Amino acid sequence: MTTAHDDTKNTMTTETTVRSDLSATTLRDNVEVAEALGRRYEAGFVTDIETEYLPAGLSEDIVRQLSALKKEPEWMTEWRLKAYRHWLTMPTPDWAKLKLTPIDYQSISYYAAPKSGPKSLDEVDPKLLETYDKLGVPLHERAKLAGVAVDAVFDSVSVGTTFRKELAEAGVIFCSMSEAIREHAELVQKYLGSVVPVGDNFFAALNSAVFSDGSFVFIPKGVRCPMELSTYFRINAINTGQFERTLIVCEDDAYVSYLEGCTAPMRDENQLHAAVVELVALERAQIKYSTVQNWYPGDENGVGGIYNFVTKRGDCRGNDSKISWTQVETGSAITWKYPSCVLRGDRSVGEFYSVALTHHRQQADTGTKMIHIGKGTKSKIVSKGISAGRSSNSYRGLVKVEKGAEGARNYTQCDSLLIGKKCGAHTFPYMEVKNPTAIVEHEATTSKISDDQLFYCRSRGIGEEDAVSMIVDGFCKQVFRELPMEFAVEAKKLLEVSLEGAVG
Amino acid sequence: MSEAQRTPFVESLLEAAAQAQLPGSGIGWLDAARRENLDAFEAGGLPDSRMEAWKYTALRALGQRRFAAGDAQASARAVEMDGFALPGIEGPSLVFVNGVFRSELCRLDNLPAGLSLQPLSQALQGNAEPLRFALSRHYREGGDVFARLNAALAGDGVVLRVAAGAKVAQPVRLLFIGAPAGEAMASHVRQIIELGEGAELALIEQHVAAGVHQNLATQVTDIVLRQGAVLRHVTLQDASEGSTLVRHDSVQLDGEAHAAMYALELGGSLVRHDLHVVLAGDKSRLDTRGVFALRGRQHVDTQMSIRHEALNTASESVWRGVADERSRGVFRGAIVVAEGADGSDASLSSKNLLLSGQAEIDTKPELEIYADEVKAAHGATVGQLDERSLFYLRSRGIPLAEARAMLTAAFCRAVFEALPEDGLRDYINERLMAQLPSA
Repeated sequence: MTTAHDDTKNTMTTETTVRSDLSATTLRDNVEVAEALGRRYEAGFVTDIETEYLPAGLSEDIVRQLSALKKEPEWMTEWRLKAYRHWLTMPTPDWAKLKLTPIDYQSISYYAAPKSGPKSLDEVDPKLLETYDKLGVPLHERAKLAGVAVDAVFDSVSVGTTFRKELAEAGVIFCSMSEAIREHAELVQKYLGSVVPVGDNFFAALNSAVFSDGSFVFIPKGVRCPMELSTYFRINAINTGQFERTLIVCEDDAYVSYLEGCTAPMRDENQLHAAVVELVALERAQIKYSTVQNWYPGDENGVGGIYNFVTKRGDCRGNDSKISWTQVETGSAITWKYPSCVLRGDRSVGEFYSVALTHHRQQADTGTKMIHIGKGTKSKIVSKGISAGRSSNSYRGLVKVEKGAEGARNYTQCDSLLIGKKCGAHTFPYMEVKNPTAIVEHEATTSKISDDQLFYCRSRGIGEEDAVSMIVDGFCKQVFRELPMEFAVEAKKLLEVSLEGAVG
Repeated sequence: MSEAQRTPFVESLLEAAAQAQLPGSGIGWLDAARRENLDAFEAGGLPDSRMEAWKYTALRALGQRRFAAGDAQASARAVEMDGFALPGIEGPSLVFVNGVFRSELCRLDNLPAGLSLQPLSQALQGNAEPLRFALSRHYREGGDVFARLNAALAGDGVVLRVAAGAKVAQPVRLLFIGAPAGEAMASHVRQIIELGEGAELALIEQHVAAGVHQNLATQVTDIVLRQGAVLRHVTLQDASEGSTLVRHDSVQLDGEAHAAMYALELGGSLVRHDLHVVLAGDKSRLDTRGVFALRGRQHVDTQMSIRHEALNTASESVWRGVADERSRGVFRGAIVVAEGADGSDASLSSKNLLLSGQAEIDTKPELEIYADEVKAAHGATVGQLDERSLFYLRSRGIPLAEARAMLTAAFCRAVFEALPEDGLRDYINERLMAQLPSA
């Protein structure tokens, strides 16, 4: 498959040459070249590695086999089966503002792993490492330079976790979920499914039944995790789904910053990614969770791409705890997720910062839920939606203040930017308030890039594409500021690439 | 819906339909439309909270209640009219008691030129063809259950037309009186309102109570404004405590038409108001203003949707809500800008005061935008009175309770400031002061 990989490289070079030769005016004149300039998905290569599959289809047997393959204890198998049985009783949700082809759950293979099972990072198939290299994941040596500890998930299994020793010294547990189930069973049993119960929703139930791997993070009392933790997800095999499960527990006074990135190869059929992420913050603990999501979005006609249906929820169980979600969503054919915070502890804080960009025929229905239960809880939501092409981008959010949430405070700001005449930008905020001392505020605007701003940039000699990219960057600044540095750089770059060909 | 699942509510209304003798029966298309809507009502029953449009308004309790088929004595029931007078509003009026037209209570003599105003029952006796379009509607949305019911059972209502170019100087008043009739009964009123090209009209719709009752009233209104027509529509909802009132308004604005819709929701126990406006013509404009002030166990749900479908249209919506004691206020304000509706300018503000720990406010402003040359913004808040304003008033020697009452009233009153009828504005302020918690 080295050939395919070379091909990708070639297209990438051609693209750069074409781009540098073009001024904005010729771009408008030459429709064909403009089309050629349409967005490129740089992570769209396939790695040719021998892969082990479970046969396609879903049944109790498959769930048992999957559990056996992963050498899981009995309680885990039972947990999965319970989830599976519950899933069978649930109807497919259809309330979101999405057009999607029905998913045939029997045609998906629920487990795909590189055949040469890695035992340690040094034994990992060099081709695999090369893949991550190409993606810019700071795995292995690169990790040291970057100072980021990485757990990389390739299709269904975790291929290696870096910086284990350093983390262990600090008392931090950072390992794959499979390993955690085997070695930290008590912790997993205590927290798994405690934030997102097995029957929470259709996709969470499916995930609970068939999740293959994911990351487990445990920060003990009083520990400030010495480095940023990171997971990189990649879907490689054809006809598979990726169902990872992440669980992060921060004990009293602990802190962790966690980053997540995702890519997948270009394929003509839609692949399902149904993950569940659970965060637990105890007394005064803080969790910062950042995502840069760049799954394959499908081509400009909407063929292929990832269905990104993810359940993410954080539980601020302790007083004065804080959970902060930051997401930059540029990929996926369909993004459907609402990273949420349950603000149970008094004075706990929830934050949600999001940039969602859709182009061509991408669809996004994303937002957050802030459930205020504890006294003096605070939440802040900043959502920036950018729609281009024929895409559809919705913010959907819920701010709920329960009776006991004395003095709860929420501020929500949702801005949408439209680029082009065929796209849609929507805002659906729900506010449910049951406490008279709470203050809940929501503001939203929708507009296009103003001609004045564009004209100003152009008059200063800035090309149209660069001007748009500058304006979009400014539009998103509030969110990018919340990202760890190297992620912010990546996010900015991603946005630029994603918007190519959106103007003119 | 199988027989077993039929709620007492559905049963009682189907019984009412079986014995109803509706005006206009025998007109083929009308019979067919009534039949279709009744079938849909029977098949769909009452929606539950899984249906998005009814997410915050539970109909389970209503489903267990039975309503008699109208009030046999309605045409003779004595009603004390003085209490319902509006200062300074002396124009033509139509009056209904429990859904039945009462000609002796109306003011229909000397109608101004260009204004045609008559009850639906009368209009159906003449040439019914002009009503065909409005009355043949089939409500397909599952959430439009009360509109279906109304379409199947409405026995009377209002047919109002203003001829092209006619400017009606005095406001026209439509008065709906609910009165106790022994047992809880249901009435259904249908309104068809059309303003011709360049016509102008002010319309005041009043829902009042002549005594406490537990009746159900449904109302469906179609309003069409032709090119350049101007309408000011004020609804004062002061229905009886214990009563259920469901209104469903559809408004269509042609080019350069302008509608200003005001709503004051004070009464009723379970009140639902659907307001759907389509800005269908270029440069049409809509202003909506509304206030709900609730107490006791009142539940008031306003569902507004505004569709911008033409070029350079504008809409501005300002809604205020106050919920005290154990009441619940629900508001949804959806703005849709359709593909190609360039130059749309839409704004919506929903601000709410929650005055009690037992009350609840659910608000949902929505934007759905499919065009890029637009300005669209919405804002929503739920909170309390501004501490600094309270402090300011107290520093001027005003006791806390009084300061609260003043600020709460001011919060609501601002919405009606643009009303040109002084008497009406004063009346609204008075009613608000009576409803809001006082010093």
